[in-house]
Amino acid sequence: MTKSNIFFTTDPAKLFLPWMSMLMTFIAVLVLAGGMATYSSVTRWQRTVSGSLTVQIPTYTELGASRGEMVDREIETTLTILRSSEGVLGATVLSDRQMSDLMAPWLGENAVITELPLPKLIDVTVDPNSRLDIAQIKSDLATQVPSAILDSHRIWLTPLLRISSGIIKLIGFILVLLSLTAAFTVIYATRTSLTVHEPVIALVHMMGAGDLYVTQQYASRSFQLTLLGSLFGFFLTLPIMAGVSFFIQGASFDFILKQSLSLGQWAVLLSVPFLLSVLAFITTFKTVMNYLKRFL
Amino acid sequence: MAKQNKLSSPVAEFNGVSFRYDSGPEVLKDIQFTLDPGSFYFMTGESGAGKTSLLSLLYLYHLPTKGRVRLFGHAVDELTRPAKARIRRQMGVVFQDFRLLNHLTAFDNVALPLRIAGAKESEIRRHVSELLVWVGLENQMRAYPPELSGGEKQRVAIARAVINRPTLLMADEPTGNVDDSMAKRLLHLFLELNKLGTTVVIATHNEGLIKHFNFPRLHLEKGRLNVIQPNQYKEMASKLFNRGAEND
Repeated sequence: MTKSNIFFTTDPAKLFLPWMSMLMTFIAVLVLAGGMATYSSVTRWQRTVSGSLTVQIPTYTELGASRGEMVDREIETTLTILRSSEGVLGATVLSDRQMSDLMAPWLGENAVITELPLPKLIDVTVDPNSRLDIAQIKSDLATQVPSAILDSHRIWLTPLLRISSGIIKLIGFILVLLSLTAAFTVIYATRTSLTVHEPVIALVHMMGAGDLYVTQQYASRSFQLTLLGSLFGFFLTLPIMAGVSFFIQGASFDFILKQSLSLGQWAVLLSVPFLLSVLAFITTFKTVMNYLKRFL
Repeated sequence: MAKQNKLSSPVAEFNGVSFRYDSGPEVLKDIQFTLDPGSFYFMTGESGAGKTSLLSLLYLYHLPTKGRVRLFGHAVDELTRPAKARIRRQMGVVFQDFRLLNHLTAFDNVALPLRIAGAKESEIRRHVSELLVWVGLENQMRAYPPELSGGEKQRVAIARAVINRPTLLMADEPTGNVDDSMAKRLLHLFLELNKLGTTVVIATHNEGLIKHFNFPRLHLEKGRLNVIQPNQYKEMASKLFNRGAEND
């Protein structure tokens, strides 16, 4: 026998805590991985698209007639409006060559761009840190170049960001719920164990065991059992995450959802078993200390 | 083993102590006595007289409802929790129902006070083995309490109480389950400890033992305590005997 197993040969928490922590960690790691993947993807979308705008100037009327020199004048006016707007770093008209490169994936390398009724595209580079007034640009364009069409990626990105921010908050809420559930489960398991072992605790107390002696044994035991179950739960999530990653890659969803986690994100996931074990340690410590007050 | 404390102040002082369980009747009334360092007392009294309650006040399981108890010079109601734990480590208690831990071997049960005190494992092995040999349990060291007889359990309980050479040793009916020769052998163990300075209080009904060992009594009757010196006891016994003879 060692100093640390006076109470635990017949301890009911021996199986209960590892199972609980395995399940909690399994859910927490998957939820957290999903949250981090969502966050990474959203950040990437934001980084990619928030720094640019596109303005289209139609080269043909709706009836198919060429708009001729009018297009050049509209391009000039549009460029003037854009370049004078706060937050716009630059505005350039895409050349036929650039348009051809853009269309290549859909129309092939040999597409004759000039034969198609494609609009002229103005690529606008925006300072991502600026407060670009898109509404003002839209209004100026509507007044001076009514045919111009402004494509702001922010228009579709904003609701998407709102949804993803909601998802991240929900994940945070789930993690808080899981932590609370874990803490209450540990309290329940500890109290059950204390009740079962009350005669033993009373005896060692009478022999001069201090509160810390009893508490440390319980808290260390709780930490070990939780860590054991929690690590097992963590490793159980690995094949599931590998499967999801494989599916995303295979279905070419990689653009939408980032399929690999960074080293830092893996470190966060790996910290879950340890954080849960520390939570179990602290909860048990406080529960036992509180319980021991009943002894003189 | 723990070093024996050289005490100048009394081991225990009870001043006007009364005690009741919750809102029940007083089981101890106005108790007044002092245990000097190195003294040896028998505690006597009929069942229900308050012996176990008095012992529980001595080993700090309860606080008095009235009066003041001082242990090793400290008023117990003023002690902090760590100080109480330190005082308890200077005591050894043999419980009437042994209170052995069934999931620990005889060896580990006896080793428990040393482990609580933080002794080294090598010391624990040596001292516990020696003591278990001395109480005749050399072949039962690895046995669990349910595998032991009543007498063997009692010897394990006694070994556990004396393993850290306590300053104050209390025993509630420590010889109730052993034969006379083992009872005397165990009492000699208590005497050896007493010679080394341990204060001993033994609650017993065994008149043979009380007569054999000439020590004062703490006699309880309906919750009240009388301290009877051995010569007084002999006088009382002879008076009772003479009165009985006259009546005949």
